[in-house]
Amino acid sequence: GWLPALQLLRRGSKAVTRHWKAAHFQRQKLLALTEYLPPRPALPPRCLPRPAPPQQQEDGYARVLRAQLEATLRASRMVAVCQYNAMAEEDMATLRHFLRRHNIHVKFVLNEVARAVLAQSRLQNLLPLFVCRNILLVSPEPRAREMLRVLRGVPQVNLLGACIDDTILSRQGVENLARLPSLEVCQGQTVAALSLLPSQTCSLLQRGPAHLAALLEQHIRRLRGAGGAAEPPPGPGTA
Amino acid sequence: EKMASKVSVVLRPVKSIVVRFCPFEPNVESTRKFLQSIYHKKIQATNTNCEVTADVRHDGSEPVVDVTFADGDRLIMKGAHLTTGEMLTALASRCNAKDLKEEQKSKKKNP
Repeated sequence: GWLPALQLLRRGSKAVTRHWKAAHFQRQKLLALTEYLPPRPALPPRCLPRPAPPQQQEDGYARVLRAQLEATLRASRMVAVCQYNAMAEEDMATLRHFLRRHNIHVKFVLNEVARAVLAQSRLQNLLPLFVCRNILLVSPEPRAREMLRVLRGVPQVNLLGACIDDTILSRQGVENLARLPSLEVCQGQTVAALSLLPSQTCSLLQRGPAHLAALLEQHIRRLRGAGGAAEPPPGPGTA
Repeated sequence: EKMASKVSVVLRPVKSIVVRFCPFEPNVESTRKFLQSIYHKKIQATNTNCEVTADVRHDGSEPVVDVTFADGDRLIMKGAHLTTGEMLTALASRCNAKDLKEEQKSKKKNP
């Protein structure tokens, strides 16, 4: 055997050093042989047709929200869209309380859900309203007057538009609606206006003969008053 | 949505703000966002005397923000082609300028 000289061992460094040490030739050959070569596809991927963009996952939660909103819209006669600005919790609770007294429910809506629901329903003209935070005031009765009164006391909620009894109204429309008298009063007024003319027909028809009769009475009285009539006045002429 | 309200506006020199818009128009988004950010807690806390009014119309007019300052100046911003951030920074810069003027005036009065 051949032992390395003691000087070699003293001078040479260990296997693991802090400085770079050239690898043994055999190790160099082994490493060169076992180098990693990444797989090269026959066709570069940029020559292939673009893959389809990932389809939007149908969100179950969004579906539930949409179903809820649709049910609410179907069940209510009055739907008012308002812009909601930041408000204190107590004020919100008070507002809810006052509106609940008139059977008006406050619903917070997300714009995506609202847009998806409205695009399919007949309220498509309300679509541009759904920007920024909105709330819906829904009610099975069209109580515009009370709603306006409550909202006037709350400056942070701005009424934008409403759909009452399948009629889309702007803010002015809602105010005009609030100023209208109730349905029974309107009906009574219409009936009175329509029956005004027929009620006058009777008196109109009798006006001519009544006028003539009055004139003749007057004449008789004057003749009687003059004392002695020459001849009785002719009978009432044909009308 | 809070990126525009990183601009903190000190509303002390402002007397009233009137925001007029027509919600059925397509160009009112920035004005509505402006109104929303004005109603933020912090901005409302800087001046409780400031009256903010929202005027909702349906005549196809342009969205307008009308700010009246305490010393009588008026700032009218037509929001049809402005972003919320621009409107807020404009308002903030003018408020700060007026605040500085007030401080200088009060300093001159009480040396």
